[in-house]
Amino acid sequence: MAIVDETPVMVRRHLAATPQNVFAAFSEPRLVRRWLTPSPDITLTLLRFDFRQGGTYRFGYELPDGRTVIVGGSYRTIEPPSKIVFTWIIEPPDEHAGIESLVTVTITPEGTGSKLVILHEKLTRPDAVARHALGWRGALDRLPALLKREQRPHGL
Amino acid sequence: MQYPAHLDRTFRALADGTRRSMIHALARGEARSAGELGRDFRSAQPTISKHLKVLEEAGLVERKVEGRVHRFQLRQKPLEDAARWIDRHRAFWNGAVDQLDRLLSEVARDGNR
Repeated sequence: MAIVDETPVMVRRHLAATPQNVFAAFSEPRLVRRWLTPSPDITLTLLRFDFRQGGTYRFGYELPDGRTVIVGGSYRTIEPPSKIVFTWIIEPPDEHAGIESLVTVTITPEGTGSKLVILHEKLTRPDAVARHALGWRGALDRLPALLKREQRPHGL
Repeated sequence: MQYPAHLDRTFRALADGTRRSMIHALARGEARSAGELGRDFRSAQPTISKHLKVLEEAGLVERKVEGRVHRFQLRQKPLEDAARWIDRHRAFWNGAVDQLDRLLSEVARDGNR
């Protein structure tokens, strides 16, 4: 079976803004609050936001059904305006609580704007094993009949 | 926490090409015996048994004993749970970056006024 060279979650996007402005969207609380949610009907409250290397954050996401999902973590690496690495842990009572995953944000100049790459790793512990044979997602992809599950339009 | 431990077992079981192929072979839904799977994969029976045991412990297959024949059937739930965990984050970041794109356009417009 082919080894699939991919990470479970990677989003790439060209943005019509300078790397400095894209970086600011991650570092300035007044901006973070306005976009770092999966959809406009899920609101974000910054319960804690200490944007510095070693600093921690806690985001409260209020869902349309009234539930709140809390995500927290710490900033591992901050290199303005090109790189941010932080841990991402959902708090109980969520079904996925307690899994420490890792998000790497890379911002590079591209044309007159920026290229943003968000890599969400360690979703599949034990990653030491899984990362050497990442084809597992390929396995899931080849089972469309099996995976007739309800499509969630948005995360959280 | 019980749920993440369960996801760990699923991902560990999936981190092997032969086991993924076995899941694929079982995906049609019919129960297969270890002997049938062994012929399909041209592997020694102890190897097949070992893989089936890992899949069984992860809850990915269910063993049904019919006399001397052990039949194995795929269980969908662990795969669905694993897929949902990944999908949840893919949807989160896709949605968030859509919103970031809109926010940056607004900021640029306001800045040009």
